[in-house]
Order: sequence, then C-alpha cells, then structure tokens
Amino acid sequence: MNATSPALTMGGLPKGSARRILPGLLTLLAMMLILIVCGTIQPRIWSQGGMTLIMSPIVALAIATMAQMVLMSIGDIDLSIGFFVGMVTTIVATFMRETPLMGVLALAACVLAYAMIGALVQLREVPSLIATLGASFIWLGVGLFILPVPGGLAPDWLFQYAMWRPPFSIPVPIVTMVFATAITWLFMQRTRLGARFRSLGSNPTALARTGASLLLTRMLAYATTGFLGVLAGVTLTAEIGGGDVNAVPGYTLTTIAAVILGGGMFTGGRSVAWGALFGAVTLGLMTVLLTLLNLSSNLQPAVQGSIVIAVLAGRLVVERLTR
Amino acid sequence: MSEMISIEDGPLLRVRNAVKVYGPTRALSGVTLTVHAGEVLGIVGHNGAGKSTLMRVLSGLETIDAGSVEIGGITTPPRTGYPGVRMAYQEGSLALELSVSENIYLSSTAWMPRWRWRGVAARQTATRLQEIFPRNAIKPSDYVDDLPIADRQRVEIARATITNDLRLLILDEPTESLSGSAVDQLYDYVRKLRARGVAIILVSHRLREILSVSDRVAVMKDGDIVSVHDAADSTERDLFMAMGGEVAVSGTRGGAARRDMDGAHPVAVRIPMMTLDGEPADIFAHKGEVIGLAGIAGQGQEEVLSRLWRANRGDVDVGADLAYVPGDRQRSGILPLWDVAANLSITALPSLARRGIRQFDKEHELVTRWVDMLKVRGGARAAITALSGGNQQKVIVARAFASEAAVILLDDPFRGVDVHTKASLYQLIRSEAANGRTIVWYSSENSEMQHCDRAYVLRASRIAGELHGAEITDERIISLSFAESRETAA
Repeated sequence: MNATSPALTMGGLPKGSARRILPGLLTLLAMMLILIVCGTIQPRIWSQGGMTLIMSPIVALAIATMAQMVLMSIGDIDLSIGFFVGMVTTIVATFMRETPLMGVLALAACVLAYAMIGALVQLREVPSLIATLGASFIWLGVGLFILPVPGGLAPDWLFQYAMWRPPFSIPVPIVTMVFATAITWLFMQRTRLGARFRSLGSNPTALARTGASLLLTRMLAYATTGFLGVLAGVTLTAEIGGGDVNAVPGYTLTTIAAVILGGGMFTGGRSVAWGALFGAVTLGLMTVLLTLLNLSSNLQPAVQGSIVIAVLAGRLVVERLTR
Repeated sequence: MSEMISIEDGPLLRVRNAVKVYGPTRALSGVTLTVHAGEVLGIVGHNGAGKSTLMRVLSGLETIDAGSVEIGGITTPPRTGYPGVRMAYQEGSLALELSVSENIYLSSTAWMPRWRWRGVAARQTATRLQEIFPRNAIKPSDYVDDLPIADRQRVEIARATITNDLRLLILDEPTESLSGSAVDQLYDYVRKLRARGVAIILVSHRLREILSVSDRVAVMKDGDIVSVHDAADSTERDLFMAMGGEVAVSGTRGGAARRDMDGAHPVAVRIPMMTLDGEPADIFAHKGEVIGLAGIAGQGQEEVLSRLWRANRGDVDVGADLAYVPGDRQRSGILPLWDVAANLSITALPSLARRGIRQFDKEHELVTRWVDMLKVRGGARAAITALSGGNQQKVIVARAFASEAAVILLDDPFRGVDVHTKASLYQLIRSEAANGRTIVWYSSENSEMQHCDRAYVLRASRIAGELHGAEITDERIISLSFAESRETAA
C-alpha cells in the first residue's frame, strides 16, 4: 500500500487530468499559430471587422461541434448533423419569417425527432451510425421539400444580431461561440444530467446500477444534440442570409474531426467543450490560411483529414508513453 | 434511522423459498434466509452455487420467479432497489472516464444537492475514504481509469456506504484485489457498521476472513443454502465439508511432475506457473492427454488459455498448431450470417484448399462427416442462428476439431448446454485424445473435470494442486479451490 501521507499527495494535478487537458491545449496552440501566421500575412484580420469577417463562417460550425461533442460523450456519433443544420436553415428562412409560431413548433419537432432517434438506438440496439445516417436522408428530404432551391430570407432580428457591434471591439462571432461553449461546458460538467451522459458513454452498466434510466438518458442526450443543432442552424441562417439544405453537408465529418482534435474519443465518456471549440476554429481557419497562402481552398478537406489522422496517431503514441 | 430499525424485533431481511430460473438452469431453488440488523452474515459457495444471483435479487436488480423477499417490511422494490440496501460490486460499477467524486455523486444523487454538488460530493468522498481506509492516496478529483485496481475497489466500497439510510450493506468479494492492511481496515469498518445496527452480507472465497468477521456463515450449493454455521464455533473445515469438499488437502499440494504417462509421449505444451507457496511449477500436457483447469471461476484459468493461445512471451512451450473453443458463443463464437456448413469448416479451409482455391467436394465431405457424427439438428444448410444453443455449441466444437490443430483449448464451452449434447461432446473429446490430440480444458463445472486425465486446480493465478485420474472429484476440487498460501495463512 502507498504509505505517503494524504497531505503530501493532495498537491498536484488529479490523476488522469493531464491526458484529458493536453489534447485541447495542443489544439489551442495550433489555433494560435494559425492566427499568427494569418495575421502576419494580412494584419487587417486583427481589427474588429477583420476578426468578425474570418470568424463568422465558423460560428455555426462551432455550435454544431458542441452538438457532436454531446453525442460523442455518450459514445455515439451523429452522421446527420450536416443535413440537419441545413434543414434548420430552410425552416428558419421560411416559417420563422412568415409564421414565427409555426417556426418555433417546427424546430421543437426537430428536437423531438432527435430524441426519438435516441430511443431507437437504445431500444432496438441500432448502431448510432446507422440510425443517424438514415436520419440524414430524412433531413435532406424535408429540407428539399421546404425549399427545393436555396432561398427564403432570414428573420430581421437575426440580421440585427449579426450586425450588432459589441463594446470594447469584441467581434460578435467570438461572443456567440464562447457563450455557446461555456453553456455546454457548464451543462456537461456541472449538472447531474451532464455527468449521466458521460457515465453512459463510459460504462452503461455503472449508470444502470445507480438507478438511472438508460433510455431516458440517451433520449435526453440526443435531444440536447438536436437543440444545439437547431442553434447552429439559426446562426448559419444569419450567416448565409437564407435557407439551403445543402449548405453545409461537410459539417458532419468536420465536427467529428473537431471533437477529436479537442480531445474527445470515439468510445465516449469524455466531454471536451473548450477543446472542441478550439478544434472547430482551427479547422475553420484552415480555409482562411489556405487562401492567404495562395493555395486552392479546395485543398481544405484533404488538409483537414491529414491533420486529424496525424493527431489521432500522435495521441496513441503519447498515451502509450504516459501510461 | 434508528427508530426505523427498532420498530420491530424481527429480522431486517427475510427470504422465503426464493426461486429463480434462467432457461434450463435453476439459479436459485428455494432459498430461505434471514438477516438481522447489526449482524454480519457470510456467504460462501463454489461456482454456480447461486451467490451472485441471490445478491442481485437482494439489491433489487432481479426479480424472483417464486417465493418472497422482504427487506425492512418492503416486498416489491422500486426501480432504485430496496431502500437502505446498498451493494459494493466486485467490479464494473464505476465509470472509468469519470472522476471518483462524480462516480460517487451519480450513485448517491438522492443524498446530494441538485446544484453545486461538486464540492459536497468531493468532501463526502474524501471523508468516507479516510474513514474506511485511513492514509489512502485517492483524491476525489482523480479519474478512475488512472487508479490502480486496489484503489478502484476502495472507491467501490466507499461508494456503497455513502447514503443516509444504510441498513443492509452487501459486499461482493470485497478483498480479492485489496492488500493485507486494507483488508484489515475494511473489516474494522464492517465491525463499526455492525455496532451501529447495520446488517452486512459478505460474500467471499476467503474462508478464514469470513469466519473472523461474520456472526453466521451460510453455505450455498446448487442454488440453495445447505447449512448456516455459527462463525464463533466453526472452522474452515466445517465450511469445506458443507460445500461438499473433502479434507484431504495434504499430499496433493504442489504441481511438480510425478509418476504416470510413460516417456513415450512427448510433452505438447508447457506453461511455467507458481504454486500457492510461490515455488515454480509447470502446467504441462503430454501428447494425447486431456488436461483440466479447475477452481473458482476467475482465478487465472482463462489467463492460462490465453497465454497458450498467444504464446508470444517466449516462456510458453507450444510445439504445435492450436485451435480455440470460446465459451461465449454469441460474442466470440458463431458467425451469425453463415450457415452451419460455413461456420463448421472455416478453420479447416486452408488445409482443404489446393493452391488457394477452395475444393467444395472436400469441404462438403468434411461437413457431412461432422454433422452426422454430432447429430447437429437441421443439417449442414441450416442457418446457425436457427439452431438451439446446444447445437450451436456442437458446431463450434466441431470447428476446432475439424481443423488440423494438434492442441485444442476449451474455454468453459459447455455452460448452459443440455445433458445429451454434453455427453456426446465428452465422448468426442476422449476419442480425439486417443487419436493423439492434446486438450487443455477449463471448466467452471467441477463434475466435468472427471473426463480429464489430470486436472490443475488454480487459486489466485497459482497452482493450488494437481489431481490425477480417479482423484478428480468434486470434493477434492472444492477443497483445493479454497486453499490459501502459507504467507496469507501466517
């Protein structure tokens, strides 16, 4: 038995926390590095306007990443988030402008639909990959039904929010992203439900033995993902000004990559809101960096993919060394 | 809490004729048991005696098929289990990715504040851990997956005691991964709880510990309680006898090679092990021999098989090809989308093919031979999932024997298989051994071991003893299963 006195061992980091914090910290460093490189090439990005310009396309991605992060914390993966966010823009750009009540009801129905997918995954033991892949075609179909071609118009209050100039030269996109991340982080770390989500991802048997309902927990996790997906859709509508179900199919894989960059795991149990934010911003800034470097931004997916593979491989090596 | 206990003088827990049936097996066949407040009841028994089923029933995870369970006046538990009943599991009830205090918070939410719970949970965790295990090095904010096994066990025990209304604490093998001083600390705490009027049920394979801490010891066998002993005037020997053991432990200790098996048969496998007393010894099998690995489940038998199967550490001698028959056929046995023929012939395919091209006539011949020999219901073309468990198991065993492997490893493959199937498979094992194959067979069912030439009884991943031929009886296996090394005995 370890004979060191408790007083001595109370200092220092809790066991296992370094492995959890480190990936997000490294991603933060990478993000800073990219910002510095971009800023060296084009110093004007350091203004409120410049920052708003490069960050606003990333807001929806960051919130969608929070959605993906919640689902990955219970050990599931959402392959439908890209089309879901696209479908939400079609609802926001049509119903929300003309019949706000209908719009709100439709968005609530979206959240409910997510909860139903969660029930399907839990009760029928359908792998989440299959269930959400199927759901992605439903979102695509519904989105095309609402707006067969890109169109519609975002509600005026959304435009007003996007045009808002906060004091102290803080760019709006950063306010939105940090706010969404802080809420997600608080929810996952400080509430009972957040702890239950992580427990479900880490060891469902343990959660069941505490007396919690696995079905309810999974449904609520999916509903949370759906809610965050709706928020991502609303911010995306503000960004693109209208609705388009095909606006961001790439979000599906980019959000997964961002969570992994931030320290999340495919096996679940880990909640990394801040790391996922850094991951999303890093991946989002890739387009800016490639453009400033005069490289085709079509290279972006390839670069993103290489980064994710390198990060995963690197982490395996680090885990093996530190254990 | 004290007034609730003293309302009545009757027992806190009363189980009457509890019966629980899983498919063909009767896990509990009419258990009757009482436990009073302020009493420590020990429960011992060999594999399949029904201990874990009974504990699951008492903690409200399972319902019984007949009979009655009454704890503190309540007969049907709510979803969260009987109020005041907590169980410390042997393993598996901690979420590894969460911190210690988060785990404790989740399992004790009813006694924690809804908001700002982190500080409360951390304080309670630290206090309780220090109370039970003074001078431990666990921090509430440590993540469980970075804790050593012994610390996880400490957390598991502390977790079960953090509640406002503890009336019955169930400890399932709490000391298997704890070291000496932690064991003493735990039992001191158990005595403290007893003095406070809490009832404790202690399940353990360590007979000496059980006798020293319990008031009464119940012995389980075949799903029933066969006897209840007063701990003060009982000995380990009494418990052995009640479990069906035989007190002839001496003489068979140590696993060194002895008489039998003339030199004509070369040794096919050899694994270096240790005896209970820490002396080096081998588990070995001659060509054409059936070797059994017996003892309480989880005492290292499966590790022996996997060391043989991997054979990569260089310390294991395996001179030939191996085939492996898994015990969990659903998870690691059948290929559910394939039919019986494809499932049966997959390991034999390379030897049947000519230059990498399959020869269907030879495959057909092989499959027909085995299906006929073992009388697999439904024949070669049936879907494997359409077969009964016993018939699926026949196919999986046939798959191993249809290969050209000279050594066959059996990982408790006959659990839950019907008697007729078992009989034909035992026969197959004997006849294949007569043909020169070597069989290493782990079974949690002691009576199966009589089909072996020799059997090693394992305890704590060490050899507790070796039995030959007619010596291999339930009684001898049970006696050796509970053997303890001289170090721990001292």
